[in-house]
Amino acid sequence: MTATLDKFSRIAALKPVLARSAASLSASLSPPDKEDPIAQLIGAQVATNRFGEHLSVSNWFSTPEFVEPVPTSLALLSHMRDEALSRRARTALSDPTKWLFLDTETTGLAGGTGTYAFLVGLAWWDAGGLQVEQFFMRDFAEEHSLLHELAARISQRPVLVTFNGKSFDWPLLENRFTMTRAIAVPRLAAHLDLLHPARAVWKLRLGSVRLVELERHVLDAPRLGWRRDDDIASALIPQFYFDYLRGGSSRPLVGVVRHNQMDLRGLAALYAKMNSLLGQDSPSSDEVPSLDLFGLSRFLLRRGEPDRAQSACVQSINLGLPCDVHARARRELAQMAKRRGDHERAATLWHEIISDPVEGIHACEQLALYYERQRKNPVRAAEYANLALAKLRRSRPHVRDPFASARVSLSETRLLRRIARLERKLASSTEALKAPLLSAAKHTPPNTAKNR
Amino acid sequence: MSESLAVRPATSPVGAASSPLDRASRAASLTLVHEVLESFASRDIHGEVLTAIRHYPARAAEWAEFPAWINPNLVAAYAAKGISRPYTHQAAAAESVHAGKNVVIVTPTASGKTLCYNLPVLNAVLETSDTRALYLFPTKALAQDQLAELYDLNQRLDNSFGVFTYDGDTPADARKAIREKGHIVLTNPDMLHTGILPHHTRWTHLFENLRYIVIDELHTYRGVFGSHLCNVLRRLRRIARFYGRDPQFICCSATIANPGELASRLLESEVEVLSSNGAPAAEKTFVFYNPPVVNRALGIRRSYINEASRVTQEFLKHDLQTILFANSRLHTELLLTYLQQANPQPPGKPDTIRGYRGGYLPGERREIERGLRDGRIRGVVSTSALELGIDVGSLDASVMAGYPGTIAATWQRAGRAGRRSGSSCAVLVASSAPLDQFIVRHPDYFFGNTPEHAFIQPDNLEILINHLKCAAFELPISSDERFGDVDLPDLCARLAEAGFLHRAADHYHWTHEAYPADTISLRSVTSDNFVIIDITGEPNVIGEVDFPSALVFVHEKAIYIHGGQQYHVEHLDFKERKAYVKRVDVDYYTDAIRYTQVRILDPAATATACKTVILPAPSAPCEGSEAKDLNAKEGNDRSAHSHSHGDVLVRSQVVGFKKIKFFTHENVGAGQLELPENEMHTTSYWITLERPLLESLPYSVSERQSGMFGLLHALASIASLLLMCDPRDLGTAIGERPPSPDTGTAEPVILSEAKDLNSAMPNSKAAATQEFFEPNLYLYDAYPGGIGFSEPLFRAHHLLLLRTRELISACPCDSGCPSCVGPAGDLAPRAKQAALTILDRLLRGGNDTSEQEMNGEMIGLRKDSK
Repeated sequence: MTATLDKFSRIAALKPVLARSAASLSASLSPPDKEDPIAQLIGAQVATNRFGEHLSVSNWFSTPEFVEPVPTSLALLSHMRDEALSRRARTALSDPTKWLFLDTETTGLAGGTGTYAFLVGLAWWDAGGLQVEQFFMRDFAEEHSLLHELAARISQRPVLVTFNGKSFDWPLLENRFTMTRAIAVPRLAAHLDLLHPARAVWKLRLGSVRLVELERHVLDAPRLGWRRDDDIASALIPQFYFDYLRGGSSRPLVGVVRHNQMDLRGLAALYAKMNSLLGQDSPSSDEVPSLDLFGLSRFLLRRGEPDRAQSACVQSINLGLPCDVHARARRELAQMAKRRGDHERAATLWHEIISDPVEGIHACEQLALYYERQRKNPVRAAEYANLALAKLRRSRPHVRDPFASARVSLSETRLLRRIARLERKLASSTEALKAPLLSAAKHTPPNTAKNR
Repeated sequence: MSESLAVRPATSPVGAASSPLDRASRAASLTLVHEVLESFASRDIHGEVLTAIRHYPARAAEWAEFPAWINPNLVAAYAAKGISRPYTHQAAAAESVHAGKNVVIVTPTASGKTLCYNLPVLNAVLETSDTRALYLFPTKALAQDQLAELYDLNQRLDNSFGVFTYDGDTPADARKAIREKGHIVLTNPDMLHTGILPHHTRWTHLFENLRYIVIDELHTYRGVFGSHLCNVLRRLRRIARFYGRDPQFICCSATIANPGELASRLLESEVEVLSSNGAPAAEKTFVFYNPPVVNRALGIRRSYINEASRVTQEFLKHDLQTILFANSRLHTELLLTYLQQANPQPPGKPDTIRGYRGGYLPGERREIERGLRDGRIRGVVSTSALELGIDVGSLDASVMAGYPGTIAATWQRAGRAGRRSGSSCAVLVASSAPLDQFIVRHPDYFFGNTPEHAFIQPDNLEILINHLKCAAFELPISSDERFGDVDLPDLCARLAEAGFLHRAADHYHWTHEAYPADTISLRSVTSDNFVIIDITGEPNVIGEVDFPSALVFVHEKAIYIHGGQQYHVEHLDFKERKAYVKRVDVDYYTDAIRYTQVRILDPAATATACKTVILPAPSAPCEGSEAKDLNAKEGNDRSAHSHSHGDVLVRSQVVGFKKIKFFTHENVGAGQLELPENEMHTTSYWITLERPLLESLPYSVSERQSGMFGLLHALASIASLLLMCDPRDLGTAIGERPPSPDTGTAEPVILSEAKDLNSAMPNSKAAATQEFFEPNLYLYDAYPGGIGFSEPLFRAHHLLLLRTRELISACPCDSGCPSCVGPAGDLAPRAKQAALTILDRLLRGGNDTSEQEMNGEMIGLRKDSK
């Protein structure tokens, strides 16, 4: 209890005075006109610069708390090991004061030149918590002034942190800058997008990796400090803005501004979560669900960390996985072993999943390869190839999906070719072996039973 | 006509200097072509089959020098390709472009028009490497063809420029590089409309340096497609202006009557017309072939499909490479089947006769084009798809199964044979459709007339508003901007009211979540395509059809023919836009039956025999002479009819199909279908026959009904001739007149069959037996929003009736034939007489037609406005 109090007094002392942030702005802030209901409603000030006016809303939040980026996790998130990453980018990335969380609310999802970002939310670490600043245009005429301000913020903090911003928010803003023909597109030092890492790790368990889902199931919603109970549906946001533009109610926009704040705080919290998850060498098993560990393993593998991927995978299997994922995890593990050159370990794993309805085909095919190349045993190889073929034929989808059946027929030809080659090989080997083995190969091989 | 039957030309061909080998092969093809022609002539005992034979002597090349300002590297590159100097028209075109003018180059097929634009554009790129150019082709295939040519030049120029195609097939990861590095981007209007303009911020580099826009095959942009393109170009120029550029246009067109007018309407600026041609041409013979009459009384001729296949076979037998054009996909496949059967290949060897049409996959098409160029493929059956400038090399003969609909298209197709040297032959095999018969019986009309005018209606509100939405999406619309010849502030205000735009500080901004270009197709009503999947063995995609065609060709139980192979349509998945077919071998094909209903929404003007009533009509000019004449008529001889034009709603639906036997074309069965309706808001011209008129006719009810259908059949043929439009641009229907004339929006819906004007297939009789009390005979624009035919038809009402009467009364058949009122078998016995009597009654209303109207064969389309 005292610890909490301590923290709060510490934070209170550090809480920024508004004047400080205003001083660094190029725009001058003034309280809104009494006649300006939207500014009153969303608690905004009027920002003025040489392009005109727009509204600006500033808030400081104690949660999520600032976390120091762990170098290993940062490297994983930013592809830092990629040689192409510039010095400027590396330097900026490792300095969290250069980071800018960004999330926009737009007039549509279509993209292209006719979609506007009418609310641009920014956030950065400050005084142990999160400073959030939101720019709102009361009409399209205020876009230039808003973008000018945004460019100024980005030049101070040129590392963008977003959730799906790489393919949506940032290209949209680039369009908007280009459309002004007056304000250059700001140069980013680096761009961290958390959507893909989040999807890799949590998609398996959650199905959907929308920020709301992540908050609820990954970030421990009750402790975050905000509640989504009365949050608006994001699909309605463009219409709320259009209604407001046409003189309709501006009240729903209060919800939009709040929604944007929560998204920004969620984004920062998500970063904190990923930072710790990716930062530990081996996450403690009792904290992380096994499915997440498996997802993490796949993410690590993709980002070129085979050793950590392997241990996360083993950990996830040991914790126990649902049966449909269980075989898949083993398949991945086998693949990793094979790549390491540990063919015996791989073969054991394949034997373990041979009866799996989905992965069994793959396992048999791999075992055929293994017996042919590693064990130089064409007889066993042919058995497994035939088994794979039989399984494949049994699994033939009944759906009229030409893509699925094209895939099936592709693997079928591949297997047939392999079998034909193996049989040629066998035919040229000793006479004594040939006859019984070929007939055996046509039926279920006897040794599969014991592996079941 | 017998004097024109001298088969051998009087003058020996003169050509450009050529090698002995060339001369030898030319002489050979000359002999062969003449052998074929003689074999036709020998069969034509009564002199009725070959109605015209025209010889066109060879023409020598006229050379010029490369202009001095052309970069020497470029001259060297062309020299390395074997082009040491340009033709006169090529040099002239380059000079005009160099002088900064917008130009339109008018030359026939295969006259080297590509060089006309590549020369100045490449020169500019080589001089200033920032120069950017955009090439627009009507099809992806044409763009691919040009890409190959430009690649070749680029290699000879050490890859000093970037050239790419950008269309629906361009992989996403290649797109960024194209935007940055493409000096020349080859695309099509559709991609410009949906992919480039709405994302112009991604193309900053191109737009900031955009200097040339090349529009090839300009003549294809007529009617609706042209009206769309004009608006797309308005948007393009708007975006270019935003980036500070005013690009120059280079257009190429096939021979049409008004290339300069079309170009200046499309570009909305001044355009210089270059119509001289310095390219050489081979000797050519043009033959009109009218299939022999089998039954004179019924006016039945031998099937033109079979005859076209026979003519083609004759050329193939002489080892002459031949292209056979059909007017529909169905006929393409039918003819391909016949020809492949006549030229069987040993198993395993690829067919030497191939089909070519939209719906074949791109790879297959490229392979056929190559096969034609290197001579492996001896014959090709094509739709209009090969009419445009795709390079398939020079063929020896071109056969047309049916009149292509326009003079310009006929010359284009004829031009596919004999590109530079040798001798070649073009044969038009007439169908029994009225238009075809008119053309082959009056050869001077065809050979003496200029090709059609191409018209566009860019300010058609339906089209313009759609593009205005796209324009607002691309860039806010400023209140002092101009976009076409319309009241822009008013339109914007209306769009704002409808929730699409919002005004902020003198600009209208797009305020809608949708991406407007996605829902607007430049070519057809819907942009959805159906994929055709063969499920005989492993599922395999064999082709695709567009939405309107899908209802007609791949409805359930249809026989779909692809590459000469028949498929039975097992299942049409409407939601997923997929058709599942299985290979079959049957001796029939299917033809869909369509029903159409028309509902009048808003009549713009009505003229009765006594007076002309111009309903709200702010701008419907009525020819003064006509109005006077009508007014002069005394009111007591009130003939009970009127004609009108205005807005209508057309609903059409495929309700069934017929099974038709191969070769004999007998009807061997039918089936019913339940398919969704297509709805279209368009404009129409119609004639109302009032009850007194009908009741005064001395015919039975069924004869009267039959007479009306026959009359409509003939009216539609003459209308398309007068309008110089494609017959398919006009739809026909008969429906009951609205019960009370003062409420135009009442329910005047009556089913009637819409006859496909081009089809020689017997039509079902069911529709004709319905009794109409006060029918309207509709001729409507077969495109949403209308193309602007209705008002001119309304003005030319009298001329239309006169010419129709001439057509019917001059036809030698007894009681109707496909060439006048339709096939006799479909009609009641005295239908032809009934049609003539109705015409007489109609003409009694205003027969004092002024002379100038009689002389003006062409209807001035331009006078109307919406």
